[in-house]
Amino acid sequence: MIPFLKTLTTGNLTKKLPELMKLPPWAPGWPVLKPKALNPRLRRDLQNLCPSSAFKETTDEFQLDLANCVLCGRCFKAFPDAVRELRTQEVAVTRRQDLVQRVILETQMFAELEPPTTTRKQLHLPTLAFRQVSAGNTGLDDSEISLAGNPFNDMSRFGFSLVASPRHADALLVTGPVSLNMKAALERTYQAMPEPKGVIAVGNEAISGEMFAESEQVVGGVDKVLPVDVYVPGSPAKPGSILHGLLLLTGRSKQVLSAGRVTNTTSR
Amino acid sequence: MTLIQALESGRPVAVFADGENVRYFLDTPAGVIHLSTPVSQWQSLAGRFPSLDWFERAISEETGLIPAGRDNLKPLRRHDLPYAFYRHPDLEVHQVPVGPVHAGIIEPGHFRFSVLGERVQNLEIRLGYQHRGMEKLFTGKALDQAILLAERVGSEPVAHALAFCRALEAATGTQPPRRAQVLRLVLLEMERIFQHLGHLAGLFTDIGYSFAAVQIGKVRALAQGQLEKFCGHRYGRNALRVGGLWIEPDLITLRSVQDDLEALGQEAAEVLGYALENPMVLDRMRYLGEVPLEAALELGMVGPAARASGVAQDLRQDEPLCQPFNPVVRPGGDVLARTQVYTEETRVSFELIDHWLSDLPDGPVHSDITLSDGEGWACLEAARGEVFWFVRLDDGKVETARVVDPSFKNWPGLEVAMGGEGLPDFPLCNKSFDLSYAGSDL
Repeated sequence: MIPFLKTLTTGNLTKKLPELMKLPPWAPGWPVLKPKALNPRLRRDLQNLCPSSAFKETTDEFQLDLANCVLCGRCFKAFPDAVRELRTQEVAVTRRQDLVQRVILETQMFAELEPPTTTRKQLHLPTLAFRQVSAGNTGLDDSEISLAGNPFNDMSRFGFSLVASPRHADALLVTGPVSLNMKAALERTYQAMPEPKGVIAVGNEAISGEMFAESEQVVGGVDKVLPVDVYVPGSPAKPGSILHGLLLLTGRSKQVLSAGRVTNTTSR
Repeated sequence: MTLIQALESGRPVAVFADGENVRYFLDTPAGVIHLSTPVSQWQSLAGRFPSLDWFERAISEETGLIPAGRDNLKPLRRHDLPYAFYRHPDLEVHQVPVGPVHAGIIEPGHFRFSVLGERVQNLEIRLGYQHRGMEKLFTGKALDQAILLAERVGSEPVAHALAFCRALEAATGTQPPRRAQVLRLVLLEMERIFQHLGHLAGLFTDIGYSFAAVQIGKVRALAQGQLEKFCGHRYGRNALRVGGLWIEPDLITLRSVQDDLEALGQEAAEVLGYALENPMVLDRMRYLGEVPLEAALELGMVGPAARASGVAQDLRQDEPLCQPFNPVVRPGGDVLARTQVYTEETRVSFELIDHWLSDLPDGPVHSDITLSDGEGWACLEAARGEVFWFVRLDDGKVETARVVDPSFKNWPGLEVAMGGEGLPDFPLCNKSFDLSYAGSDL
């Protein structure tokens, strides 16, 4: 009887979507470059400071790759003039290049990108059944995907559900840098899925390999093995970001981050 | 003490090949001792001490050496080498292959069951799918980068980062300030609470007791929120550094975390109290997946899985800040015993955090380190058991890093637990161990 009372008094735990996408005040946000302020000294300092080498300088560009950012928040705390903080969990994108902020050194402006497009029309489904494959993940991105289904985040209210077999799946969520030992299993899982099928790379490891990029035992990114429709950055990707990725895949969210700016996708 | 004597009185903590030597770190009644054997005289001892089996396989596939007296060496992490699964001599027994891709959200691993009807005659676990070449990546890394890698070994980032830091602090002779030492342990216990509640929620989900699954899942999510409030990361990454901490929680945060955790601790105890009195829960978990004490000792098992079989061993017994500490031990070695150990340890962790945060020493949270060449090792009690790290520095950079995750020592225990059980009971048995695939595959 007492468990029954406990259930009755627990109430509704589910958070509304806008509330879910907010970062709690104590969590560091995403770094965004301030192009005008980047002088050579600051650029060198940023590269020395970043433990995961997210900043990179080529001959005519300075780049910040969010897929290599571990969200320690040291850069915008130490150099608020050069880097600002973007506080959101809505960071999923449809193209890999949207995660890279490129500043042209000569003009001190962001490099222009073509406007981001939506995912394929066939994937704009009212409900979406997905299968998850962990391909060399540390286990945290997997844990975050299952937490996206807990009563607080409740992805099933949007029609997203996990299915046991790839035969029943509309989308494949892949985590991890694709270890060589999992490559064949990942490809076979994808082949077993019926058309139309989407792929979401969840977490920085799945996008760029992150800390494992230089290992000989990993492929270093899901898009080197499968065609990826949506990229969800994060280390690990937060449940809110994973939900945003699923909404983006099904065409229900238009907002994406494109090279440091929040914009909307255009239909293809 | 000779190698044989040490193994007879204890168990291996870590065994690895280091240049021209095979090095043994062994836990004996006199503490952890360190022995080494030249590679040319490396003898196989796995026949007599099964706890060395996986270590010998790992060394052999890494170096290509074969220990004298061993003929059935199967690869552990390398999938480019031939692998022959066990065949039961009885032709009536057929094989059920499961994995690497499973039905739920879970890491990959392959389980080969030999079954007669529904009864499991033998389970053979084949891992390595998560192998990312972890240890090799450390070579030549600066400390800031190396600790990011350490946080990515398995699903317990705080435990691995802390053991890595302690190994380096031992190598360089650094003593972190007292405030940092306490705050680090607070983080470690918060991670333990998060992991243990995860195991418990999973167990209740698997037996279909959704009341406890949902309520424990709720407490777990809120406890994770406290960890995020405490250090800024949902899993405690980016908090530790060699010599201390990056984070410096202020008084308001500390108070708020302490109060919220106290309330969560009470809620968890209340729900778990109901759940573990429920006759259906007891009926489903009791006598299932038994690991006898002798098997746990023989396999050198660690952590909650070993304590549920009656092994009174928890490295927090040697942690000065945890004193006095009594390990949580249960007899039986079944799923219920492991559930009880998780439950009781969760309660102890809530108490420890409350105790530390009530009386937190003042002062800095970081002391500078002087980089010197040298090597150090450390082991500590993570949620799943004993984490071991060995690190050698050269010219201010990491030259060699060796890690042993607790899961590595406990997987053979799952094989024992499944003997004679029904095949459909596997998910519940597996969940009661809840081992890390990435941690043992490296």
